[in-house]
Amino acid sequence: MASEKSLSYVPLSSAINPSFFSKLSQLKLEVLKSEEKFVPIWGYTKLINDLNLPVNLIEVDSTSFNLHFLEHETHIPFYGNVQNVNTIEKFKNCDKQLLVDLEGAKFHEKLMNGDILKNPSLINWFHLLTYADLKKYQLYYWFAFPVLQNIVLRIARTCNITEEFSDNLVNDLYNEFKKLDSNQKPYFAVVKLQNFVQVNSLYETCNDWSFFKERELYFAFINFAPADNVGSNLRLYAACLVHFHPDLGNTEVNFIALNLGRNKDGVTLKSSTVYKLKLPDNASIDWSRWLGWEKNEKKNMGPRFVNLKKSIDPEEIMELSTDLNLKLMKWNMVPNLNLNKIKAAKCLLLGAGTLGCAVARSLLGWGVRHMTFVDYGVVNSSNPVRQSLFTFQDVLDSKPKAQAAADCLKSIHPGVVTKGYQMSIPMPGHLVNGEDIQEAIESVEKLDKLIDTHDVIFLLLDSREGRWLPTVLGARKQKIVINAALGFDSYLIMRHGIHVENATTPQAHNTSSRDLKSISGVNLGCYFCNDVVAPGNSTKDRTLDQQCTVTRPGVSQIAGAYAAELAVSLLVHDKGVAAPAYYSSKNNELDVDETEPSVLGLVPHSIRGFISSFEQFCPATEKFTNCTACSQFVMKNLFLNGTQFLLSIFNDSKQLERISEVPKYCDSIDNEAILDEEFSDWEIK
Amino acid sequence: MSLFNPEDPFEIDLISITERAAVFNVEIKRINAKMDNAIMSYKDFVTYIEAILAISNSTSDYWKLNVVNDNKFLTKKQSVLLENPEDINERLIATFEYHVVYNISYAVPVLCFDVWNQNGSRISLEDYWKYNKHLRDFNMHDTLTQTDHPALNRPIFAFHPCKTHEILKGFARTSKNPIVSWLSVVRHFVHLELLETYIKNC
Repeated sequence: MASEKSLSYVPLSSAINPSFFSKLSQLKLEVLKSEEKFVPIWGYTKLINDLNLPVNLIEVDSTSFNLHFLEHETHIPFYGNVQNVNTIEKFKNCDKQLLVDLEGAKFHEKLMNGDILKNPSLINWFHLLTYADLKKYQLYYWFAFPVLQNIVLRIARTCNITEEFSDNLVNDLYNEFKKLDSNQKPYFAVVKLQNFVQVNSLYETCNDWSFFKERELYFAFINFAPADNVGSNLRLYAACLVHFHPDLGNTEVNFIALNLGRNKDGVTLKSSTVYKLKLPDNASIDWSRWLGWEKNEKKNMGPRFVNLKKSIDPEEIMELSTDLNLKLMKWNMVPNLNLNKIKAAKCLLLGAGTLGCAVARSLLGWGVRHMTFVDYGVVNSSNPVRQSLFTFQDVLDSKPKAQAAADCLKSIHPGVVTKGYQMSIPMPGHLVNGEDIQEAIESVEKLDKLIDTHDVIFLLLDSREGRWLPTVLGARKQKIVINAALGFDSYLIMRHGIHVENATTPQAHNTSSRDLKSISGVNLGCYFCNDVVAPGNSTKDRTLDQQCTVTRPGVSQIAGAYAAELAVSLLVHDKGVAAPAYYSSKNNELDVDETEPSVLGLVPHSIRGFISSFEQFCPATEKFTNCTACSQFVMKNLFLNGTQFLLSIFNDSKQLERISEVPKYCDSIDNEAILDEEFSDWEIK
Repeated sequence: MSLFNPEDPFEIDLISITERAAVFNVEIKRINAKMDNAIMSYKDFVTYIEAILAISNSTSDYWKLNVVNDNKFLTKKQSVLLENPEDINERLIATFEYHVVYNISYAVPVLCFDVWNQNGSRISLEDYWKYNKHLRDFNMHDTLTQTDHPALNRPIFAFHPCKTHEILKGFARTSKNPIVSWLSVVRHFVHLELLETYIKNC
């Protein structure tokens, strides 16, 4: 017949919301990693299309990855899968035809097992292929809204709904439609009766087909195209109907393309269209051949590309990029690395000099977001070349070092929470009297509070005695304390043990294997224990800090980096501060696997290195019972007399030796000479 | 896995329309008495936006009420076909997300919006004006800037609130819902569709 013509269709159009990319990146980085599997996602379109739009948009956003569609009665869900491939080559070269055919086969399976009949909204489906370049914030993507090839529907008749339904019936249809379950809304059957319409799900219609086929029956669907056009979803719908009811093949069937709009009375269906269409024969439908890849902006068959760098707030980009390099570690290198633990660690850096700057830089790289600096000095002209957080301008401004370091961190990464405190740390042997007493008390209280509110305490000061008070407080508060000290061409990095009330005398444990020994992290010696009782090779171990301002420039960078790495290894160790330190009593090389390592490897007690010979070793030592800083004697006095005790020590450091019963200990051993030498510097003020 | 189940970016707080409808009318009358000068308290602001939400829900419109850090604000997403008047082949589908938020320092409502292309990239203010040359001559042009969203603390486009007083003043005595009246003026600059129902009921 001359009036018979085939329908033309308006394809669906995809729309990505900016939040989609962030969520996809997160999924890729944290869950999928290098996997390329299909992930179910949701899309949605509006039930009532926006006024002047020539197409219906299928939108995806951050909620697209939710387990369940965020149901909103004004939205129609679309079901899809996203596959993010790892390389641009894979994105370009993978067989797109095969991809929709395989996904189409899954759809056919759902048709055969009855899923589609029970939930016709599954007819709204899509596939999304992506390649996300997370470093450049670029996204290549290609949507497919698959339909069967070679489905031809011929129009026998078409008219506006009001020509076949009275106004009352149209209103009735909308009221009945509203009552439908959201899964049934997109596709359902309508029986037209004298004074009302009856709305049934496809499932009900199918179950009682011999009854319904005799009625004045219309198959309704939400038209994903502006009125007077028809969405491409109609073809798949028609094919499904012929599958459910083969007797509809080669016959003329009534359809209602529903277009919802608004008028002054509210929502209306009056711009909907009725079609009488001749359906294809069931046997002629080939369920294995699909098409439906979306055309790009240039109307070509090809993917779309978007650079989102300008769409994301630069501070957010900084945050994402910093995390990116760290999260990549988890893909293959260290899958079980707990980055959140590192990120959440609050670090207190006592000293903002060469070491302070180097440690802060390394921590920044690890994603640490909370750093506090304490330093008494101001930036002077010899600092900027060695201390990586300062510039010439800071010298001109005579900026306090702690403040300058914090400001610089902020300018490197605005997301860092950092503060600088210009204050001195009271030291044994540095007299306090008169007005100074109040200031010293305030300093002690301030430091006490700072140590309380941080998780990791770095001792990066330039004098030996400056480390005493934070060592004592850190042990008492059971914090992770990392100590770094420099010699001219040597360095020492060590972690401290912690104070435990009424602990028994620590003992090193022999392990099953050969000469391997371990000491619990709790019982490790502090800076002051270790320099009194020198381990093994006494020619190599010497007090390092005395020459600290005269050092080879690389030493502070090396030591700072080791201090940060040691802290991070300890943070991610299951036992935290109690992580045992293993050592070989015969100076043999350690097999890391035997040392209860953290996910990052060995967690030594101390690292001693020598640039002159480029040598390094990692001895471990226990607490010294008579230590002038971390022994039970000092802890007991601190507990009983608090600040008064500390003040008396500041004024008379000799007391420390008496309290710690060092003389008694010295009497009991032979090598007094070493001790005398070691303690001589307590008298330097 | 938690990633697959992220919280909705906004907490949605749907108000029961029937219960509130009666209360609104009384509330709004009371507020109007105070509206001689054009400032608006946060409490009044909330009353007005909840009235808008009630109408939106009854007409299947897309306004949503969000609560972030104790700040209530309305949002609505809407896509529009924009054409460059000088070259009709140059056209794009822009998606707007409108935010009606309260500005504490000016004590007025603020209309903020994000606008992006179909591929998710944001449209710059420059490009935005390219498609809206016909709006350039109005004084509103100067007041459209990028600022921080009062509740979300992230950059967003907004009409600077300095001119809002002027507009509100005109409606202060006559309008049942000054926010609707104000939106009916500023909406043209951002292609916001405002159903007649709102104007009729306000």
